[in-house]
Amino acid sequence: MSRPRVDTVRLTGAAATAITASALLAVIALLAAQSIPAARQGLLHFVSANDWSYRAATFGAAAMIYGTVVVSAIALLLAAPLSFATAVFLSEICHRRLRMPLKAAIELLAGIPSVVYGLVGVLFLRDLMGAAFERLQWNAWQGDTLLTAGILLAVMIVPTMTTLADDALRSVPARSRDAARALGLTRAESVFSVVVPQARSGLVAAVLLGLGRALGETIAVFLIVGRADNRLPESFAGAMRTLIEPGQTITSKLGGAEPNIAAGDPLHGGAIALLALVLLSLVLLVTLAADRLRTGTFAEEH
Amino acid sequence: MLTILCTFAALFALAILVAMIAIVVIRGAGGLSWQFLTTDARNAGAAGGIVYHIAGTLLLVLTAAAVAAPLAAGTGIISHFYLPPGRGRRAIERLLHALNGVPSIVFGLFGLAVFVRFLGLQKSWLAGGLVLGMMIVPTVTVAFTEKLRAIPRANIEAAFGLGLSRPHVVTTVILPQSAAGLVTGVLLGIVRAAGETAPILFTAAIFAGATLPRGIVDSPVLALPYHIFVMAQDAFDPAMTRNLWATATVLLGIVMTFSAIALPLRMRLHEEARHD
Repeated sequence: MSRPRVDTVRLTGAAATAITASALLAVIALLAAQSIPAARQGLLHFVSANDWSYRAATFGAAAMIYGTVVVSAIALLLAAPLSFATAVFLSEICHRRLRMPLKAAIELLAGIPSVVYGLVGVLFLRDLMGAAFERLQWNAWQGDTLLTAGILLAVMIVPTMTTLADDALRSVPARSRDAARALGLTRAESVFSVVVPQARSGLVAAVLLGLGRALGETIAVFLIVGRADNRLPESFAGAMRTLIEPGQTITSKLGGAEPNIAAGDPLHGGAIALLALVLLSLVLLVTLAADRLRTGTFAEEH
Repeated sequence: MLTILCTFAALFALAILVAMIAIVVIRGAGGLSWQFLTTDARNAGAAGGIVYHIAGTLLLVLTAAAVAAPLAAGTGIISHFYLPPGRGRRAIERLLHALNGVPSIVFGLFGLAVFVRFLGLQKSWLAGGLVLGMMIVPTVTVAFTEKLRAIPRANIEAAFGLGLSRPHVVTTVILPQSAAGLVTGVLLGIVRAAGETAPILFTAAIFAGATLPRGIVDSPVLALPYHIFVMAQDAFDPAMTRNLWATATVLLGIVMTFSAIALPLRMRLHEEARHD
């Protein structure tokens, strides 16, 4: 019998785990505590009013929430079909030997820093969009618009969504495909009626994680969205119009000068923290939903 | 029909992304020179080089790696070797996914409040490194646990069969056989940290006037992504634009190098994890 000793591996490991686990809680707790002065002014006003001005000490963030939703929606609408089709190509169509290099390329591309996307947005896409608006005679006065930001975001999330969608499709067992083909289904029929339905929750998770990334992306959006405060449409036509006008998202506001300006002003600082908390809640909701769906597929698999 | 459509989509997706890199590298290559890589910036980035931006970025990512690696190692070992499979392990996994989803600007604001102001570090490489480290813990941990999962059960059982205690099994079997996963994870974490701007915006980076930090408190650094970010906001001077693209090329080169080193390991881990 050896005498019982202190398991130092376990102790240090537990300490590390505790720090890791508390990081997220610390972020949430800090933002929640900071945002109290702003939350006291009324949460409903915060999310529904359109009057953000720290000089006037009024903080209605509706236009920024609108900007974030619109930009992310554009990104998803453009990126999801492209990513899914690419994933179907990778998983169901292309030759096995071609698959790995293509996957590797997409993994590499997923690592391009967002500031590089932002730079290409500023020095390339912006002019392209400006020229396109002019040709279409849409009377947009510049290329910095919500639409431009949405398009740039779409490009940014394609690698992530493609990889995840491909993983989801690959997790469908080969025997399902074989059975479908043996029944005389064409490849297209087997993809749509057998593979995609079985991979559905994984595919939805891919969209959700892409959405999570789009919601939280700051730098590229900041550079290209125009950062015009308090633009909120009042009609459907107005909403269409705002797409080709400069706007503001939650992240482009948080990435600007206001967090520094707010130093020493609990109300302004609180509004910034509350804005970050709104963003964090949206992203966590989406991420955890995706996590649930992916656990679902995992459990079915084993 | 499906084949044609999907092939076309794949080509289109790949073309856009390759075009992204081509735009940066083609415009940036002209500004690259040995002198650009080894001298300090002058004229607000319009002349001179980016040596301290490279140094600052390396310092930030190394600090981040030093913060994240032990946390990831500990978390991975505990969740896969000490906790029984089930709720606890699942909770840690879910927490890591959630942490991974936190937008980088939120980490930046957290760092501003806690490290910069509350702990009084002011703008400092350490504040930035800590924030980046927090941010990449999930990436490192996930890569590490993938490798932990791939260790054959027989190896672990044999070690226990020889009468080794649990901590001994960790230090003599588990860690040596999973170290590659930790390295891969750290490389992937560095890829992410090196390109991030939002977390260092308020915590670590300034645009000009810093060289190598001499201390900790109030010791900001220059950094490649922040440099690009600031210059991109008013890039109308052609000399500036040229240096801007060249800086982006260098950043892309650093990120892609780390990515490429991690890639084979990562792809293999993926396969190994599938086969068990």
